[in-house]
Amino acid sequence: MMELINHLILGFGVALTPINLLYCLFGVSIGTLIGVLPGIGPLATIAMLLPLTFNVPAVSALIMLAGIYYGAMYGGSTTSILVNIPGEAASVVTCLDGYQMARQGRAGPALAIAALGSFFAGCVATVIIALFAPPLAEVALKFGPAEYFSLMVLGLVSAAVLAHGSLLKAIAMILLGLLLGLVGTDVNSRVRRFTFGIPDLFDGISFVVIAMGLFAFAEVITNLERKGKRVVLTDVQTLLPTRADLKASWKAVVRGTGLGSLLGILPGGGAIISSFASYTLEKRLAADPSRFGKGAIEGVAGPESANNAGAQSSFIPMLTLGIPSNAVMAVMLGAMMIQGIIPGPQVMTERPHLFWGLIASMWVGNLMLVVINLPLIGIWIRLLTVPYRLLYPAILLFCCIGAYSLSNSSFEVALTAGFGLLGYIFAKLDCEPAPLLLGFILGPMMEEYLLRAMRLSRGDPTVFFTRPISLAMLVAVAFLILMIIAPAVRRKRKEVFHE
Amino acid sequence: MNRLPDVAVIFSRFKPILSRRRCLVNMKLVLRLASMVLAAVVLTSAAGDALAQTYPTKYIRVFVPAPAGGGTDILARIIGQKFTEKWGQQVVIENRGGASGTIAAEMAAKSAPDGYNLFMLYSGILTINPSLLKKLPYDPIKDFTPVAIFVQVPNILVVHPSVPAKSVKELIALAKSKPGQLNCASSGIGVSNYMCMELFKSMTGVDWVHIPYKGGAPAMIDLLGGQVQVMFNNLVELVPHIKAGKLRALAVATPKRISAMPDLPTIAEAGVPGYENLLWYGMVAPAGTPKEIINKLSAEILKIQQMPDVKERLNTMGAEPIDFTPEQMDAYIKAEMAKWAKVIKEAGIQPE
Repeated sequence: MMELINHLILGFGVALTPINLLYCLFGVSIGTLIGVLPGIGPLATIAMLLPLTFNVPAVSALIMLAGIYYGAMYGGSTTSILVNIPGEAASVVTCLDGYQMARQGRAGPALAIAALGSFFAGCVATVIIALFAPPLAEVALKFGPAEYFSLMVLGLVSAAVLAHGSLLKAIAMILLGLLLGLVGTDVNSRVRRFTFGIPDLFDGISFVVIAMGLFAFAEVITNLERKGKRVVLTDVQTLLPTRADLKASWKAVVRGTGLGSLLGILPGGGAIISSFASYTLEKRLAADPSRFGKGAIEGVAGPESANNAGAQSSFIPMLTLGIPSNAVMAVMLGAMMIQGIIPGPQVMTERPHLFWGLIASMWVGNLMLVVINLPLIGIWIRLLTVPYRLLYPAILLFCCIGAYSLSNSSFEVALTAGFGLLGYIFAKLDCEPAPLLLGFILGPMMEEYLLRAMRLSRGDPTVFFTRPISLAMLVAVAFLILMIIAPAVRRKRKEVFHE
Repeated sequence: MNRLPDVAVIFSRFKPILSRRRCLVNMKLVLRLASMVLAAVVLTSAAGDALAQTYPTKYIRVFVPAPAGGGTDILARIIGQKFTEKWGQQVVIENRGGASGTIAAEMAAKSAPDGYNLFMLYSGILTINPSLLKKLPYDPIKDFTPVAIFVQVPNILVVHPSVPAKSVKELIALAKSKPGQLNCASSGIGVSNYMCMELFKSMTGVDWVHIPYKGGAPAMIDLLGGQVQVMFNNLVELVPHIKAGKLRALAVATPKRISAMPDLPTIAEAGVPGYENLLWYGMVAPAGTPKEIINKLSAEILKIQQMPDVKERLNTMGAEPIDFTPEQMDAYIKAEMAKWAKVIKEAGIQPE
C-alpha cells in the first residue's frame, strides 16, 4: 500500500509539471473536439498526431495521446445526445436514450450524467491500473518467447471474438492484417517478402501509414457521403440532474465502471464493446425495459461510464505486457516504440516516471475533462456547426504532412492514400478495419516470437505446452474457439452487437 | 568578390553534363565546352585553391541514411552545427532511412559532386552491403570520394552471469565443449554486432546458435533475462547493465582498448589474435567532388571531433573519436570490403 502511494506521488510529480499539464490539457481538449465532431475518431486522431510527437519527450507524448483517447469518450457523448450521430464509435449506444432525453428537453441532465459518470469511471479505472498493473508486470517479467507467442495467439483470437459485427469478416480482416505485416525483410532469413523490389517497402509498411489511411482518410471519405442535415439541439437549459436522475443512474454508473474496467483489460476489448455490453446489462436489469430507447437515463449513464473505464483499463495489458488489446492501444504501442521504448513489463521498472506519470495524468485529465465538458459545453455545441468543407480538407492536409514526415518520402503519402481507398472499400463492405490493425501489429511479433521460441528450444514445438503460463493461455484460446463454435454463444454475441 | 571561383563554379556545373553517357553530340556544344574546359584546366590549380578558400558559398546538404533522432542523425547534426558556426552557411540534413541505408546512398551517389552534397554514413553501407545485397544501387568505391572517418562505436562482448566463462578463452572453451548449446543474440543479420559474431565464429570455430532480433533493445531484454547468453553490443546499451553486474563484459571488438573501459582487453589481446571489428561513422562525398573541398572538409571534421563539447556528446553516445584522412579511409574501406566479403561467404550467407 505504502509502495502504491509512493508510486502515485512519483506519478503526480511528473503529471503536474507545467509542461505535462499543458500536454494533458492539449490532449483532452483535442480528444473532446474530435469526440464531438462526428466522423473522426480517437484512433485516426492519434495516428495523425503521431509524427508530431517524434520530438516531444516520451512521457509528455504518451500523456497527450492517452488524453485524446479518453477525452474522446467524453466528447462523443455530446454529439450522440444533441445530434443523434455518434461522435465516435463508443458513443453509438448513447444516441438511443441520450437523444430522446434531449428531445424531451432534458439534454442538460443527459450531458451532465454522461460527464459525471465518465469522471467516476475514470477515477476508478486509474486506481485499478495502479493496483493491477504492477503484479501483472511481475508475472510478465518471467515471460520468454514461448509465453509471448501464446499470449499473442490469445490476443488475436479474442480480437476476432470481441470484434464488432460479422465474425467471418473480423477473421478475414485479421488475416489481411497479418499479410500486410509480412511485407518487408524477414528478421530470421533476410528474405524480402512482398516488396516488389521497391526499396521503400524493404523495412515493411509503417503502421502510421496504415492507421492514417484506413482510419483518418477513409473516415473523411465515408463521411462525405453522409447527406442530410445535422439537426443540433442547442437548447441546453439546465445542466443539473434532478435528485431522481441521480438516484436512477448511480447504480448504472457503478455497474458500467465495473464492466468497462473488466472488458478493457481483456485482449480485444476496450471502449466500444464496454459501452454495448453495459447498455445490454442495464436493459436486462431494469424493472421496465420498455423505457429504454425512450429516454432512460440509465441508458446514458451506464454506457458512458463503461466506455471511459474500458478506454483506460485497456492501457493495462499495453503497459504491462506490451500487448495491444485494441487498435488504439496498437497505435499507442507504436508511439512508444517510436520513442525508443520497448514495450513490456520492464517499462514499469526501468521507466517508473513514465509509467506512473502516465497513470497520474489520467486522473488529472479526467478532472480537466469535467470542466471542459460541463461549464464549457456551449463552445462544443457551436463547434458542431463547423462546416465539413473546412474541416475535411484540413484533416487530409494534416495527414499528408504527417505521412511525408515519416521518412521524407512521397511514397508514404501515396501509400496512405492507397490505404484510404482500401478503407473506403472496407466501409462499403461493412468490414471493421480495427482487427486488421491488430493483425498487422501482432502478426509479425507473433512470427518473431514463434521462430525465436523454436530456435531456443532447438526445434522442439512442445515448448509451448510444457511451460505452464504458455499452456494456460493456449487452453484459454481453445476455450474461446469452442465458445465461438457453440451456437448459444454466437446468438448472444449477435444480440449484444445488434442492440 | 574574386572572379576566379565563378569560373570554377561554371566548370563544376558543366561536369555532370560532360560525364553523362547519353549526351547528344552537338558540335557547337562540344566546341563551347572544349573552350570552357580549356579555360578551366588552365585555371584549375589557381581556381581549386580559391574554390576551397571561399567554400562554402551556399547551404550544404547532408544525406543521412537513418530517420531523425538516431545515432547517425545526431552525429550528422553535430557536424552540421559546427560547419554552420564556422562558415556561416546552413547545413540541411536530409533523413532517408530504410533498406539498409541504400536509399540514402543512392540519392547521395546521384547528387551533384560540387561539395554541397555530402553523405554521412556508417561502415556497413560501404563495407558490408556489397556482400550482403544482390542489387546494390550504388558502387561503394566508384560512386563516392572518402572525406573522413571520425567516430567509432565500440562493440563489447558480454555474457549473462549464468555463463561460467570469465574470459574470452574460457568462453571459447565452453562453447567448444558444449557445441550448439549457447545462444548468441544479434540486432539483425548484417548489422555491426552480427558481423562481430560471425567474425568471431569464423576465427575461433565456436558453435553456438544465433538468435536474431529486430534491433538491440529487444535482444537486450532476452539477454538480461538469460534466454540468450552471449551478445556483442554497443557501449551505451551495455554499460548500465555491466555496472549493475547483470552482464559480464569479456572484451571489446575494436583494434585498440577504449578510453571508456581501459581495463577491458580487446578480443585480439584476449585470445583471438588479429580479431577486430570497427563500427565507424564517417563522411563521403559523391565521386568527382573537387579534391580541395574534400581536404577542407576532412580537416574541419577532424578538428570538430576533438572539440571538448563534441567529445562530451560523443561520450554520452558511447562513441569515441578516431581519425582517418581521405587517403587512409580509401585504403581502409577497400581492405574492409574484402575482409567482410570473405567472412560472409564463409558463413554461408547468400546475398538477398
